[in-house]
Amino acid sequence: MSSETVAVRRPGALLRRRRTEAAGWLFVSPAVLLFLVFVAGPFVFAIALAFLKWDLLTPAEFVGLENFAKLFSDPLLPRVLINTFVFALASIVTHLVFGLLLALAVNQVISRAIGYFARVAIFFPFLISWAAVALLWKYVLDPTFGYVAQYAAMIGIDLPNFFADPAWALPAIIFIDLWHTLGFTFIIMLAGLQTVPSELIEAARTDGATSWQIFWNVTLPLMSPTMFFATIITFIGAFQIFDPIQIITKGGPQDSTTTIIMYLYEKGFQAFDMGYAAAVALLVFVIIMGVTVLQFVGRRKWVHES
Amino acid sequence: MTVVPPRATTSDQDLLTKLETSSRRRRRKRGAGPVIVDIVLVIFGVLMLSPLVWLIVQSLTVPEFAFASPPSWLPVPFTLENFVEVFDYMPFLQQFGNSLILAVISTAGSLAFSVLAAYAFARIDFRGSRLLLVAMLSALMVPAQLVIIPIFIMMRQLGLVDTLASLWLPALINVFQIFFLTQYFKTIPRELDEAARIDGAGHFWILFRMLIPLSAPAIAALAILGFEASWNGYFGPLIFLSSPENMTLPLGLVTLQNGFGAAPAVVVFAAITMVVVPLLVVFLAFQRQIVESVASTGLKG
Repeated sequence: MSSETVAVRRPGALLRRRRTEAAGWLFVSPAVLLFLVFVAGPFVFAIALAFLKWDLLTPAEFVGLENFAKLFSDPLLPRVLINTFVFALASIVTHLVFGLLLALAVNQVISRAIGYFARVAIFFPFLISWAAVALLWKYVLDPTFGYVAQYAAMIGIDLPNFFADPAWALPAIIFIDLWHTLGFTFIIMLAGLQTVPSELIEAARTDGATSWQIFWNVTLPLMSPTMFFATIITFIGAFQIFDPIQIITKGGPQDSTTTIIMYLYEKGFQAFDMGYAAAVALLVFVIIMGVTVLQFVGRRKWVHES
Repeated sequence: MTVVPPRATTSDQDLLTKLETSSRRRRRKRGAGPVIVDIVLVIFGVLMLSPLVWLIVQSLTVPEFAFASPPSWLPVPFTLENFVEVFDYMPFLQQFGNSLILAVISTAGSLAFSVLAAYAFARIDFRGSRLLLVAMLSALMVPAQLVIIPIFIMMRQLGLVDTLASLWLPALINVFQIFFLTQYFKTIPRELDEAARIDGAGHFWILFRMLIPLSAPAIAALAILGFEASWNGYFGPLIFLSSPENMTLPLGLVTLQNGFGAAPAVVVFAAITMVVVPLLVVFLAFQRQIVESVASTGLKG
């Protein structure tokens, strides 16, 4: 890029420069074209759409900020946001705690066979589609057909009908999500643990530190970049939770499991209020962008960089 | 789409190898050690797998005896009839084929375009490259549900709704892949390019004969995760596909137990088993590669 002046003196260099430019654009052009058509274009279109009223059948109509006004005055919105944030927060806490504990356990398991078995058992559910997982768990937690309620009844416990009970539906979805995606957090934690030098732990042990002290003062600080990464990625994934809710509860009972993407789906793809759905999607975008910015700011503050 | 910090690892040892060597080292030092951890892990593992075992057992049981209380963990009386019936309720093979076509085209297509773009970003100093990369990267923050609304409208105009093309066309661009491969290519010394160039090699030779073979682990990881994401995808198929013969397997499974003519529970279970068991076989065969691809990219399906 700095060879402009040189190029004037040497015509061969100028030619080479031009050829490099052409090669660069040639290599990126398919990706750029697809990017414009399927990412950048739709992004701009979605922003414009948020100012329209359009059901795809009658002509679109410009309505200014009406969609946003309607969105923020919808009495359901606080409920939807609370559901979504409760789910995301619960998801972060459960995934990080269980993921870390299991990774620590697998990291010091004695029998190699048990280590293999535990890794497979914890990770495999993550690979199954949400569709299969949600259908399966609908039956597992069923009050008559499911084995959970059947065993509970045998020891005299009467479990609630989880998905029909407004107090229990969201916790049940949180639980299923933990079963399904714990494997991901677990593998990330396991990989993070491998970056903690065993020499440091041995040194601390020789100095007489207890296992608990080693965990708090050596392992955990060195794991903080991994923990931070896991927190962000779990949040972003959990904030967009949709599949199990659409499949099992459809947002019910009494909107107790309507999360923001479920709300978006209902407005956009069931009621075909495209402009309104775009406004909801923009709200999701702003929240996710906010968290991403927070990630860059917070990283410096909370993460121990060696 | 999600935001992911660079985690391109080019370590010579993969995660599982490291785990095994470290546990061997510990065994030598501490001998027996606390057995309690092993016991807890066995119990936890059994609990994790119990829904899957229960699933398979019910699908192999004669309908009148399935879902019995107390729960049975053996398929008695045994039958394969439920699996035969799956084909009466859903075009399983057709949907399996749809899922396969979609996953292969999406994965291979996006990787091809990503490799070319990443080469330009990592190796060619063309004007505007940095700005272009930043523009593409910022798209990682845009939730998929935002762009899918205009894409849905676009596909409707093009008459592509209810076809697989409505799903694989937008999947051909994958910004994360471009970013990840750009980072990975940059870890390969540029001196290698210059040496090849002196020997008369051009861009395509350098990319296809040198960078791609040297990046095989990264490309394999992206391919595995791309395939998995497409194979398991639900939101896109739900919005775009409506006729059973065009559906992918996840949507087909959910449709199986919906509305009029819904299949009995044992048949739904048989269909889920037909999805889960082959997956388990693939996982056990390629466990190392699959686990490693998740650990190295930090990509959540």
